[in-house]
Amino acid sequence: MNVSLIWQSLPFLWTGFLMTLALAAVSIAGSTVLGLAVAALRTSRPPLLRGLGRAYVELFRGSPIPITLLFVYFGAALYLGYGVNLFVAAAVGLSVYHSAFIAEIIRSGIEAVPVGQHEAAQILGLKPTQSFRWVVLPQTVRIAVPPLVGQYISLIKDTSIASIIGLAEMMKVGQSIVDRTGDPVSIYLTVAVLYFIVCYPLSLWVTRTQRRAI
Amino acid sequence: MFEYQWRTVLAYWPDYLHAAVLALQITVVGFLLAFVIASAAALARNSRSAILRFVATCYVEAIRNTPVLLQIFIVYFALPSFGIRLSAVTAGTIALGVNVGAYLTEVLRAGISSVGKGQLEAAQVLGLSSRTVLLNVVAPQALRNVYPALVNNLIQVLLGTSLLSAIAVPEITGVATVVNARTLLFVQVFGIAVALYLVLSYGLSAVAALVERLSFKSPASRRARKRTSAPSLTGASS
Repeated sequence: MNVSLIWQSLPFLWTGFLMTLALAAVSIAGSTVLGLAVAALRTSRPPLLRGLGRAYVELFRGSPIPITLLFVYFGAALYLGYGVNLFVAAAVGLSVYHSAFIAEIIRSGIEAVPVGQHEAAQILGLKPTQSFRWVVLPQTVRIAVPPLVGQYISLIKDTSIASIIGLAEMMKVGQSIVDRTGDPVSIYLTVAVLYFIVCYPLSLWVTRTQRRAI
Repeated sequence: MFEYQWRTVLAYWPDYLHAAVLALQITVVGFLLAFVIASAAALARNSRSAILRFVATCYVEAIRNTPVLLQIFIVYFALPSFGIRLSAVTAGTIALGVNVGAYLTEVLRAGISSVGKGQLEAAQVLGLSSRTVLLNVVAPQALRNVYPALVNNLIQVLLGTSLLSAIAVPEITGVATVVNARTLLFVQVFGIAVALYLVLSYGLSAVAALVERLSFKSPASRRARKRTSAPSLTGASS
């Protein structure tokens, strides 16, 4: 371990760290909105829409995330020409990929609420939209939030894969420093610690709330 | 023109085929490694020794809270500093095994605690040795209860192989990147790659379902699967 090298690298790693956080924040928002839309498709009544939602989910659950990122990146490069914004490409790729998993979490949260709840609300005179908003949704949120945060942790870790299309987030910055200094041990372990600092508190929260829920 | 584009990319089929075979090999070896590590770590996490419990917990938390790509880089680029030089395929297989092993540790632990206490007490009353209890009473039931999650983790290893393109392993994503650089037909290039991943992951799931039907014949397996399949959707994802 080369402490002075780590010390000198920290300002550079910090810019990468901020980029990682920004990418994660935008992608979490994007994947949640998209995931809600796909979950709505999957729980809708027309078989065609349901099938479409299912196909979307199965496509991404059966393929790895680097393919999605590369596809978005090269697609954007071909149709938009030079000067593709790497941040946008990475955020779109991460959002699209993780939305499939988020849709499943939301769907199983909705389906975990017993039908009796909906029926009771109907008998009490609530309209379907009211019953969804005031009866089903609050229960869905309680069920779905811990696994949702678990998925966000995966997404934060997956921002590192944006390095393969060249975005200067923490992983890429770490790689560049290693290329220049030739000390993978110090730099990669520092990068690992930085990821750990972000993810571990979230993991602890997920374990704690899930244990309480059971 | 479209047909010509597909033909151009499909001309690379031997490369894609080699890539798929390599990905499958890495998946199988990586998963076996993960299973061995996870079995040891799950026992350590349930053991009476505080040191063993602490070491196993550190392993699980360190792996689960850092990116797998970083772990691959550490095994491939940082271990040589300690005199351990591995080929890209070996390093990648080890990294994926160590990574998925951490998730599998939690799965196996859940499986062990899913076995009823009465089973252990009955086994003890019958005078079985603790080794027999573990291998013949706990393990079969635990594995049956978490089987869907095991298959999930197997698929995770397969999808994880795509990251090995970053250390120049010629697996499916790596080959796709090379073919894309030569032809620039990214729709066809990555379309074929996605098709290969889907075929492999559904193929592995089908094989796993067959293995399940052949090895767990009791009706309990069907009930157990229903119980575990819904929450497992939210589970392992690298």
